[in-house]
Amino acid sequence: MSVRVRVRNAETGSTVDMELEEENTVQEIIEGAAGYWEKDAGAYVIRKGKKLLRGQQTVLEASITHSDDLELIPDPEGG
Amino acid sequence: MTDPLRPDHQDADRLERSRRVGWIDMDAVVGARCLVIGAGALGNEVVKDLILSGVSRITIVDMDDVVISNLNRCVFFRTEDALAGGHKAQVIAHRAKDLNEAVEIESIVGRVQDLPTERFKEHDVVFGCLDNVAARLHANSHSYFHGVPYIDGATMGTTGKVQVVRPPLTPCLQCAMNRTHYKLMEKRFSCTGNDVTFFEPKMAAEITTTSVVAAVQVRECLKILSGKEDECIKSVWYYDGLANRSEVLEMDLDPDCSVHSR
Repeated sequence: MSVRVRVRNAETGSTVDMELEEENTVQEIIEGAAGYWEKDAGAYVIRKGKKLLRGQQTVLEASITHSDDLELIPDPEGG
Repeated sequence: MTDPLRPDHQDADRLERSRRVGWIDMDAVVGARCLVIGAGALGNEVVKDLILSGVSRITIVDMDDVVISNLNRCVFFRTEDALAGGHKAQVIAHRAKDLNEAVEIESIVGRVQDLPTERFKEHDVVFGCLDNVAARLHANSHSYFHGVPYIDGATMGTTGKVQVVRPPLTPCLQCAMNRTHYKLMEKRFSCTGNDVTFFEPKMAAEITTTSVVAAVQVRECLKILSGKEDECIKSVWYYDGLANRSEVLEMDLDPDCSVHSR
């Protein structure tokens, strides 16, 4: 069963709708969205509300449902 | 017979104003020993804030030398250090004494991966002030193994984050990693041969963001030392200085994380 979600680019504010299957992983969402926006090489994470989603979680495990809003956030690495 | 009170007694104690904060256990802070891994921008600010907060025993680890481009964000470094090729950890250990002559700072010039694991458990809190995923994961796993709280900070331009890891209760750094992090590690360490150069652009870094992130790291340490662990960040605090936005995001512990399953 597929779900449609909206992913927001935290850096620019732009959004894209993604069609996902239950077995898709959060990692695949990250890579799909980052690729769509041609993001610079780097680390990224996805949040759903106040929750950071783990990369290995599936759509089902992460309780991602239809019409959810997700946000792609660059993960700082410098120091 | 006790000594008579002097009118200026409140200004004779360097930590008098800190004691007025109330929730900070100053005896615990003064008696604590902190390990700071990384003597770059974050490491400089963390050491500065630790000393001013009253921490008197610090170990700092870094393998790099000071360069001129560090001087926009490293409060302890000077032009003469860059020209002399001074080791970052040693320069901090030397110059930090200007803030408090009584502070004990041990400097270790080398990689965190070469630090004997037993050194982690000699400390009450470990700070990650690093600039790469691999070193962070190493510091994270060794802190976790020894049950020592690990406070990781990171910056990128005007954004930053702090994650507080309190073993065994909380998710660790590795729980938060995904393929994009591991790809960064692979890119750095892939075997390219002696005749191939891998170009890696420098990261944007400036002092105002560094100061904010390091201050939050040190404050989390003060909470832990003062028995206020329940008030610590759960799990990651993200900061965007340009958008004037900061937020705490929670994360679940990864049941398959190799750090937890040891």
